[in-house]
Amino acid sequence: MKHDEPPPVISPAEEASPPCQVACPLHTDVRGYVAAIARGDFEEGYAIAREPNPLIYVCSHVCAHPCEEECRRNQVDEPVSIAALKRFVAERHDLSLGHGPSKPAVEPKNQRVAIIGAGPAGLTAAYDLARMGYPVTIFEALPEPGGMLRVGLPKYRLPREIIDIDIKGILEAGVELKTNVRIGQDLTISELKAQGYEAIFIGIGAQQSRTLRIEGMDLDGVLLGVDFLRDVNQGKPVKLGKKVLVIGGGNVAVDVARSAVRVGNLGDEREVHMICLECREEMPAHEWEIIEAQREGIVLHPSLGPNRILGRDGKVVGLETIVCESVFDSEGRFNPSFVCNTESVIEGDTVILAIGQASDLSFIHPEDGIELTPRRTIKVDPDTLATTAPGIFAGGEVISGPGSVVGSMALGRRAAISIDAYLRGENLAKLRFAEPQKLGELPQKTVEKIKPLIREPMPLLPLEERAFNYREVELGYTPAMAMRAAHRCLTCGGGAYVDTGKCAACLTCVRVCPYDVPVIKDGAAFIDPTQCQACGVCASECPAKAITMKLYSEDQLYQEIEALFATAPASNPEPFIVGFCCLYCAYAGDEWAESVRAQLPPNVRTLDVFCTSRIDIQHLLRAFELGADGVFVAGCVGEECRHTDKAVNRIQGKVQFVKEVLNQVGLGGDRLALYNIPSAEWGTVPRIAQEMAERVRTLGTNPL
Amino acid sequence: MIIAEQKPLDEIKSMIADYQKVLILGCGTCVTICFAGGEKEVGALASALRMATRLDGQNKEFIEATVQRQCEYEFNEEVADLIEEADVVLSLACGIGVQTMNEQFPNKLTLPGLNTAFLGQPVEQGVWDERCQACGDCVLYLTGGICPIARCSKSLLNGPCGGSQNGKCEVNPEIDCAWQLIYDRLQALDRLDLMMEVKPAKDWSTSRDGGPRKIVREDLRLTFVEEKQS
Repeated sequence: MKHDEPPPVISPAEEASPPCQVACPLHTDVRGYVAAIARGDFEEGYAIAREPNPLIYVCSHVCAHPCEEECRRNQVDEPVSIAALKRFVAERHDLSLGHGPSKPAVEPKNQRVAIIGAGPAGLTAAYDLARMGYPVTIFEALPEPGGMLRVGLPKYRLPREIIDIDIKGILEAGVELKTNVRIGQDLTISELKAQGYEAIFIGIGAQQSRTLRIEGMDLDGVLLGVDFLRDVNQGKPVKLGKKVLVIGGGNVAVDVARSAVRVGNLGDEREVHMICLECREEMPAHEWEIIEAQREGIVLHPSLGPNRILGRDGKVVGLETIVCESVFDSEGRFNPSFVCNTESVIEGDTVILAIGQASDLSFIHPEDGIELTPRRTIKVDPDTLATTAPGIFAGGEVISGPGSVVGSMALGRRAAISIDAYLRGENLAKLRFAEPQKLGELPQKTVEKIKPLIREPMPLLPLEERAFNYREVELGYTPAMAMRAAHRCLTCGGGAYVDTGKCAACLTCVRVCPYDVPVIKDGAAFIDPTQCQACGVCASECPAKAITMKLYSEDQLYQEIEALFATAPASNPEPFIVGFCCLYCAYAGDEWAESVRAQLPPNVRTLDVFCTSRIDIQHLLRAFELGADGVFVAGCVGEECRHTDKAVNRIQGKVQFVKEVLNQVGLGGDRLALYNIPSAEWGTVPRIAQEMAERVRTLGTNPL
Repeated sequence: MIIAEQKPLDEIKSMIADYQKVLILGCGTCVTICFAGGEKEVGALASALRMATRLDGQNKEFIEATVQRQCEYEFNEEVADLIEEADVVLSLACGIGVQTMNEQFPNKLTLPGLNTAFLGQPVEQGVWDERCQACGDCVLYLTGGICPIARCSKSLLNGPCGGSQNGKCEVNPEIDCAWQLIYDRLQALDRLDLMMEVKPAKDWSTSRDGGPRKIVREDLRLTFVEEKQS
């Protein structure tokens, strides 16, 4: 693994970050890994995505992906399929290269830290602390680590071997794990302290189902959602009837309902219904989960409150409901109001409650000094996550209430930073965490200039192969699909930056930008990062070299040109041809990614660039200087350009200039050619390379 | 601003023929803006010269640098060590920069990589037109803001001449007749009366005809106070 830095500290960014990165509780460099995928560098993509995230495999399957909600492509068409791309790099990653970044060279510390609970928060805190050099022990009540990932999430959403991959990586980072140890039962907090743990992190999650105070709760056939999921997930026998009524409209309720469909493999013999207070539009579950539930035949009954559970002979026979007209009062508090005389009955033999979860805090004793909140969560300093007891910290759902995996992880990370500060004797009151600043929305004038691109659809398991089993529904992208999906990224904030000290205010950038972004401000060019679309045309044209692309800079392309020659075949009778290919065009179809590129002969090497507008005259000259016999630039036909004709046209001028220089140098301008290839015809590139080779043969090899 | 263009590669090659280690020194002002001698051009020329000289069987070394304004000692001083290191300097500044370098570094020869062309205006990306001849006695107030000295092929003060054809100059049909432009402009401004006045012969002593020119502003000189006191 290349990345050797310790986990990033959540600290103020020097400048505005892309909205996806800000939305991610772990502040994952989404733009960075999507760009790596866009270039076909899938391992680099994995390394970037893994860096802040020790549960990358888990997240790649079940992350709620708030990044996509914030994606600025929403303003143009649909968000970049970030979640699917993360899964793509995780699935392709070669684990023999290691799970994540190698351990930073830190001095081992001797202060031991105990982590209570091996869920997302605890695992993250443990991983981070271990990488900081602390001896860390996780105490887990269940036989296996993972917390709700293992006993809460259904297998069809998260195959168990996926959890095991991440846990293995975390344990390899030097974390000790003790399972089947329930704090409060097998060990108390004071005993942990007595054993020499100088800091304790509580990350026990919210593993108790909330119940209802309605008639019929004691009937046979009434189950609690969390218990039901735990039993199903642990392979324990579950008694489920043929008509199951799930109460709740959140994500856990959907998990319960979709699991109920699958239990016992009864097929059409079992009906599953969901009853919730919220109207359909306001159901708190993720929309995509609800849609999949409906596709699996689950019947929704929104805007209904449970009035009582009906029974006969001690067994459930149905649920009496009442119409709910609003869930929250005018002040936004949960305070459902019902419509009188709207009682009706839904028949059923099983009722499962999935109306929320809480933490079991019975292990906390008064002498521990850990105060609780009225909401039955642990009271913490919102910045440092320190509890009211010195040296004891808490994070995850035990402080936040039910939330997301990645949200709990971020709290685990924050606690790890605080614990480190605490153990180093720093004043915790001074430890403050600032959120990065978010890049603003795209201005409407920019939105209008951005071309819409179809969101690459995720291949799904066909419905007929899906219901009543635990196979994962989403099948994942192929490399060509992933690259196309990544090419939709607007590279927010990764575009052009001006060194005002070098800028000669020549106005070239102002004139060449296809999006009319640069302006002259205070005597120098100013390129608003909120608007820049990272086409790179300004940087490649700037005569003062005052503009640099933040992501995939001009220098990086130089390095790639050098690297390409470093691995060139030593002696080859065939002319050595270098092709600069616009990756947006090349990968628009499947042909290039899946077959053509790999079939190029060894004397033809290609470099993928984000649009030919990124290429400058020095790049082309450098290729000849290093000994290329011929160079071709392959870009799109104007109307297909991701940017505009304005970007396409610029490469023509540069090629013409370099041809003239080659003539003057004595190499011959005919060694360089520009091809405008429609996206459907990238299969012709080998022929183009062949043509180049023939032409070059008549000019002789490059004597350099 | 000053407009320049690069000399042909062959000419540059022959200029540097006797030197092994060449510093190519760009300038960050006018010649950057006119794509003749900025950092990008320095890099491209270095690349071209490396290739060209290697093809000639030579093994020259090229160092690249660009200063903010080569016509000022202070900026050049920043690269004094590179200048010291090089056998010769190939300047991509205008003629002023080349001379400043030669004056400032008397032990090192600085060669001109550009032909300094004229004082002009970038009229569109990639196109520059001559606009001023620095005659030292501006007449633009008489001619609707269009310079007859720089833009009339004959620098006539009372044009147009008989060579004006359909608004173009007889010297080259690509050249607009300056006096046609002046006439059109004055007509639009309703100031054709200005054309009725015959302009007397111009005193060219403020131009090149008076020899090399110099402007001194005593008030700005740092020795100003001392001199007054003495």
